[in-house]
This record gives sequence, structure tokens and C-alpha cells, in this order.
Amino acid sequence: MPPVQLDRLIRELRARLGSENVLSDRSELVVYECDGFTIEKNEPDLVVFPRSTRQVAEVVKLCRQHHAAVIARGAGTSLAGGCLPLGGGVVVMLTRMRAILEVNLRDRYALVEPGVPNIQLARALAGSGFHFAPDPSSQVSCTIGGNVATNAGGPHTLKYGVTGNHVLGLEVVLADGSILQLGPVERPGELDLIGVLVGSEGTLAIVTKAWVRLTPNPHDFRTLRAMFPTVDDASSAISEIIGAGIVPAAMELMDQGIVAAVEEAFHFGFPADAGAVVVIEVDGPAVGLAEQEQRIVEFCNRHHAREVLRAASAEERTLLWKCRKLAVGAVGRLSPSYCIQDGVVPRTRLPHILRRIGQIAAEHQVRIVNVAHAGDGNVHPILLFDERDRDQVQRVLAAGRELLEECIACGGSVTAEHGVGVEKIAFMSQLFAAADLEAMRRVRWAFDPEGRLNPGKLIPAHDAPTAERTSPVRRAMA
Amino acid sequence: LAPANATPSAEQIAPDQQAGVAEAIRAAAASTTPIYPVGGATGLDYGLPVTRPGLRLSLAKLNRLVDYPHRDLTITVEAGMTAADLARHLAANRQRLPVEVPQADRATLGGAVAVNASGPRRYGCGTLRDCLLGISAVDGRGTVFSAGGRVVKNAAGYDLCKLLIGSCGTLGVITQLTLMVRPMPETSALLAGDVADLAATERCLAGLAGSKLLPVAIEVLAGPAWNDDPLLAPRRKTAAGRLVVALEGTRTEVEWMIGQLAAQWSREGIAAPDVVRDQAAAPHWQRLTEFAVAPGHSNGAPTLTVKICVQPSATLNTIRELFWLQPGVSLQSHAGNGVIWARLPLTQPREWRALLDGRLRGPVAAVGGSLTVVSYPAGLDLTARDVWGPPGGAAPLMRIVKQQFDPQGLLNPGRFFLENS
Repeated sequence: MPPVQLDRLIRELRARLGSENVLSDRSELVVYECDGFTIEKNEPDLVVFPRSTRQVAEVVKLCRQHHAAVIARGAGTSLAGGCLPLGGGVVVMLTRMRAILEVNLRDRYALVEPGVPNIQLARALAGSGFHFAPDPSSQVSCTIGGNVATNAGGPHTLKYGVTGNHVLGLEVVLADGSILQLGPVERPGELDLIGVLVGSEGTLAIVTKAWVRLTPNPHDFRTLRAMFPTVDDASSAISEIIGAGIVPAAMELMDQGIVAAVEEAFHFGFPADAGAVVVIEVDGPAVGLAEQEQRIVEFCNRHHAREVLRAASAEERTLLWKCRKLAVGAVGRLSPSYCIQDGVVPRTRLPHILRRIGQIAAEHQVRIVNVAHAGDGNVHPILLFDERDRDQVQRVLAAGRELLEECIACGGSVTAEHGVGVEKIAFMSQLFAAADLEAMRRVRWAFDPEGRLNPGKLIPAHDAPTAERTSPVRRAMA
Repeated sequence: LAPANATPSAEQIAPDQQAGVAEAIRAAAASTTPIYPVGGATGLDYGLPVTRPGLRLSLAKLNRLVDYPHRDLTITVEAGMTAADLARHLAANRQRLPVEVPQADRATLGGAVAVNASGPRRYGCGTLRDCLLGISAVDGRGTVFSAGGRVVKNAAGYDLCKLLIGSCGTLGVITQLTLMVRPMPETSALLAGDVADLAATERCLAGLAGSKLLPVAIEVLAGPAWNDDPLLAPRRKTAAGRLVVALEGTRTEVEWMIGQLAAQWSREGIAAPDVVRDQAAAPHWQRLTEFAVAPGHSNGAPTLTVKICVQPSATLNTIRELFWLQPGVSLQSHAGNGVIWARLPLTQPREWRALLDGRLRGPVAAVGGSLTVVSYPAGLDLTARDVWGPPGGAAPLMRIVKQQFDPQGLLNPGRFFLENS
């Protein structure tokens, strides 16, 4: 690509957006040098804050004229470096486009701008009897636009599906700056481009509006907390529950390491010696819950559960979920740095992968604690280390690589919900054949022939050298 | 009468390996011969008739079960497997794919994906896009490619499964599929009641939209096509139509839901709905599944069958419009989803154009909806615009996608909108 004439681009962007909406000062740009994936950092050339679809389109057109890369960004909670401005470029912050434009309960959708935080939509819907089903752990900050970009999941995707199952329509700005609306009503004579755009990590277009499906709240639910002596017992019970054809609303596993950290941080009252805690939620008509619960308890007991308790009140339920959602944050107490992985295996391989993760931890002398959307076979091993210790860093990198390779070997994938970004890009050629990646490149080329939208992400270049990582860091949050 | 869209091909081959499919397409590509993929040949009415002679590529022999780790609730099959065979494999483990495929004894899964078959359960269980986890296909160059995987959650790479669903075999010939399946419910029931007028029906539908009763299907049926079904036909001659709801779950849940629903309906003047449970409902499910496959003629009258998609709240107004235009219409509406399948008898041969262009498409487009002609009598000279409607804003982009996967335009040329609009 020809070099970017930055000065002219800045002038034109300021003229269109107002100077307060264009950042070009290095002291300000440094904030955008990385997202939740902090291993690699690079400052963007510019950061802009459009307030409307039209402004996004103008930004994209100007960037095209000036051959600048365009990196869309929401809350920046990506754990895979999805918003890392790899070669510089213009970061398009969508956080000022945060209006909920319409809530239509009769037709069960909400029309939102991309910068609406997931939690803001949840709060707006409180009392309506409906909710937006995807509930990633970063729910309090992550945006709907980001959820669409990564096809985000969360605990309740077990029963209700991931973001892609809940997007009815999109308005997007294409690489040439044109605006395109897809959906929200089905058109059988068209290709399902919405389905392709969801999970495309900002490499095909920038989402400026989303029509998302609203799901009626369940009639009733029960939330259980099962404690197991070992992770193996817990994962075997989970596997059996799914295998028996019971699909709870959510089934979340936390191993001893994470339980201890959570307990230390928040004093929920978990025995610190529990090998694993599983939070299980069943929902549906109240009359059917006792039966569901009973069957689940039987499976837990068959796998040596020490106790299975039911949340007796709404407060207790909230507390249980809070405990699960705060689990990752609590890891900061265990270690100065950590790296959250995202692997997925066929559900019956859950006991195997957790056993292997334990072995890999021992072999590499790395401490690994686990949370998992266990019913989906989706594990989030958290590798703990001190980034000042270079030897430890190398061992963490090797362990992370090995456990993801094990997911591939089990017939799984290296990301279930965080996305590929830059973090997993080197695994793509292990996961897919050359022709598969070529098919993806063709789609990318169709949308963005100049490759200016979020370059360097998702699909490895033909001749991409495998990036050698020097650090796997996610710095512990204060 | 021959179906309007019979493949005009002289040659047919039926490879029994994916490599054979790729080889055939490479050979055809070398001689720029059009390729017409065929599964069970149940969907050949869909889209425009093809005219260029070419190679009929049958997937019928590519019909094996590849892998069924039933405790993972996933299954991988070759694309030529029939929907009925898949159902048999799954039933052995009390599982199912909750997507209705018409003519399941013949229809293949690859074909179902190519035309995006769906039925009443889409309200509660979604469509193929919610079940398809992985796919393999051969593009117009003869290159095999795969996307997705065999796990239920996967964020690695573009979801090309979605791209191929409903693409009518124009981007690739589908060879293999991995599907997420569901446990079979313990019991199910169909509830049906007469609706006196559309206003009362709308109140029922609005109630169901926010309902915690978890209906898996919400159907509004009307017209003479239902007359010979004892459950699905209205009881009273004065009824505006029949409201049918499907409930599934455990026995306790379903009985409770039936009670709740009957109480709600009685407030809207639907007294004591008819309830049919489990196997007894099978023939009615059959009717609900097969309605979409309407012949170009019914009872000797030439018939135009359309699929209309609107917002759910616009369903009943659209139905009213249909009756006003053609009082003899028969229709099935997945009313919870805003999808209406309508069979319109053509009293005069030239009538279809006036029906489609002005009086039908106009009001549907005005509420943001779409209208697709699903089948029509042989001899009518429909264009791509007639069948699929005017191209939307995405058409140029879709054509570029098409060129990327099939640069010579050899896959199912003429049938889909891509090169016609």
C-alpha cells in the first residue's frame, strides 16, 4: 500500500468530525496500542470517534483515499488482539454510537448502535420480560458491536446459542465507504451475508447498527452449585448430563485454583478444598424444574459430588453468578500476570482435555487454573506467571501452544468465542487446510479487495511467517 | 406436465467419493460445461428453469454416515444422505434434527441446505443456520474446501456454512455436513383452534410472542388446501382460519402448557382447542411439513406458490391482503416468524404478473418484507426479478462473492438470482 499522508488525512477527518473527535497526539494514542490482549502493542496513527453511520462512512472513504488501514473498536475487551492496530492505521471508536434506537417486543428485536454495551441493553430490557441471550463474562463493558464481531458467547449459550443465533439484521459500512443494510427480514433470494459478517472480527465491514433478537425470559429457573472432590469427577458428570440429553441453560465449571482465588477475594463461602465447583442452571416452566433438577443431581451424585445446593433466593442466585463472572478478575490475586486461553473440544472430551491441561501444567511447570463453559466443551485455562521471569514466560507460551494443539487433536478448535485476532492466527493453518483458508481469503477479497479493514487478523497471509511470541501476557488487573 | 425446472442435461454422473465430485467439476470446468448438482431432485422447482445443457451431478451415492458421536449431540454425514435416513440414525439415540425437510424420503441434506429448507419448528428450534456446524463443498474450480468444525461453538475463521445455506448450489457443491442435533422431547402436542377474526388472532399471537410457554411452532392456516385434515381445517365455516401451536417438553411441562394456553385462548373466544399428542399428531405434522412443496397445479388449476417474509406483527395484515387479492388462496403461516407460504390459484393465465408486481410485492415491500416465487406452472415465462424480487443493495457484493467461488459461472447457472439480476 502507498504510504499514508497523515497530515492531510488528519485535516480532512477533523473537518468532518470536529477536532475533538480525532486523536493524533502520541500521549493519547498510547491508550489504543492494545486491547485485552496485551502481548503485542502498536500505536495507531489516529483514533476517531464518529457519532453516526454517515460519519463512519466518511471516515472509511477518507481512509480509502489516503490508503490507511481501518480498525473498528468497541470497548477493547478482545482477549485475542482483535483491535490491535498492527501496522498503525486509523482506529474507529464506536463507543459514542451507543443509542438503543428501538425495542420492539411484539417482533422480539432491539435495534442498537454498535457501541451499546451488552449490559446497557440488559438494563434497558429489565422488567420487559425479554433479554438479549449472549452474556459474555465481559458483559459489563463489552459492546454489542464487539459481540457481533467475535460471535461472542457466554454461559447461557449452552441452551440459547451464540451471538450469531441472535442477529437478525445489520447495517454496515463497507470498505469503499458505502452503507449496506442486510435484514432484518429474511430474503430467500440473497446469500446470508449477515451470517458471514458475524464473527468476521472487523475484517469485512464495520457494523453501524444491529437488529438483535430478544428472547422471552424463562418462566422460572433453578440455579445449583455442585461441589466435586476432583475436576475429573466434575467434568465426567457434565459430560454424562449432556450425553443423557439434558441441556441445561448453563453449566459452568471452576476448578480448585480458581475457587480458592474467588473465595479469597469475595468470601462466597466455598470450601477452599473443593476440587471443582459447577454452577448449573435449568430454566423453563416451573412445573418441570424439579424433574430436571432431580436428574442432574443424580448424575452429580453418581460422580461423587460432595454436595449439590440450590440457590434459595434471587440474591443467592445473583451471588452464584457474580462469583462465576468475577472468577477471572480474582485471578489477579494469584499471580502478577496471566493469560486466558479459549479452547473447545467435543463435549465428551471435556474430562480428557482437563486431564491433559493438568499434565501440560505439570510438564511445563506452569500453574494453570480453569474455568469452563463446560456444557459446550469450551475451556478457559488461565495460565499464571510472572512476566519478569523470562524462562517462565517461555514455558507459559509452550504450555499454551500445547493445550491448543491438544484441542485440535481432539477434533476441537482453538477459539470458541474470543476470536482469532492476532493471538490465534498462527494456529489457523493447523486447523484448516490451505484450500479452506483460500476460500476465506476469497470472501475477504470480495468485501475488501485492498485489505484495509483490520489487516493482519483472522486469516494468515499466504506467505505469513509464524510470529514468534516473546510474551503471552495478560497483566493482572489491579 | 413436466416440472418447470427440469434439468436440461444429457449427461449424468453420480460419484461415490468427494474426490470424484471434485474431479467431475474440474473436468467440467476445463470444458466450461455447466454443472447441475442434484440430491433427491425434490427442489428442482425452486428458482428459475435452467436452459444451458450441462452435466447433472448426482450426490445420491455420497450418502454415508461419517461420524455420529451421539453423546456430543453432533453428527457428520455426506451430503447425499436423505433427511429420512438422518432421522433414522438419530432416532436410534432418541435425538433429532429439529428442522422440517419436505419429502424427506428423497430430499438430501445437501439439497436441504442449498435451498435452506425450514418448517414450523423454526419458531422454537431455529433453522439450518442454527444447526450447521461444519461444511465441505467443492467450488466451481473443482477445489474442495471446508469451514467450521465438529464442535458446537467455534469462532475460528469466517462462517462459510452460512454462506452456503440457501445459495442454491451456486457457490459450491456441498459434499459433507456436521450438524448439531437435539434430544428428542419426551412428549409433544399440537393444539388447534378456530379463530373468528384476525384481530382476535393478533391478540393471541402477541400473547404468544412474549409467552413463557415455549411453543416450538405457531401456525396460522387458512384456505381450502386444509379442508381434508380433521385437525388443521377450521371446525366452523365462518372461521377466519385455524391457529395451531406445537408444544414440546416433558409430560409435566406439556400438560401445564396446554392448560395455560387453553385458558389464554378461551379469553380470546377460542373454546376448548383440539389437542393431539405424540404419534397421533404425525399425519398433521406431515401436512404442515409438505405444504411448502406445492405443485404448479392443484386440483387442475394452475397455481403460483409464494413465500412471503415480513415482521411477525405484519403477518395477519399480509394474510388479509392475500385473501382480498385472491379469495381462493390457501396458506400456511409460520406466524411467530412472519413467514407465509401461499398457494394462489390462477384463474386467468396472465394474472400472475399483475398479482406479483403490483398487488402483492408492493404491500410486502412497503413493510420491509420479501416475496419469493417458490413454484409456478410450466409455461409461465418468469424472470429472475419475478421470482426473487428486485435486487437489494447487497446484489453487487453477492455477485463478487459468486465470481470468487465460481469464476466461470458453471455451478447451477441460471437458477439463482446471482447472474440474473
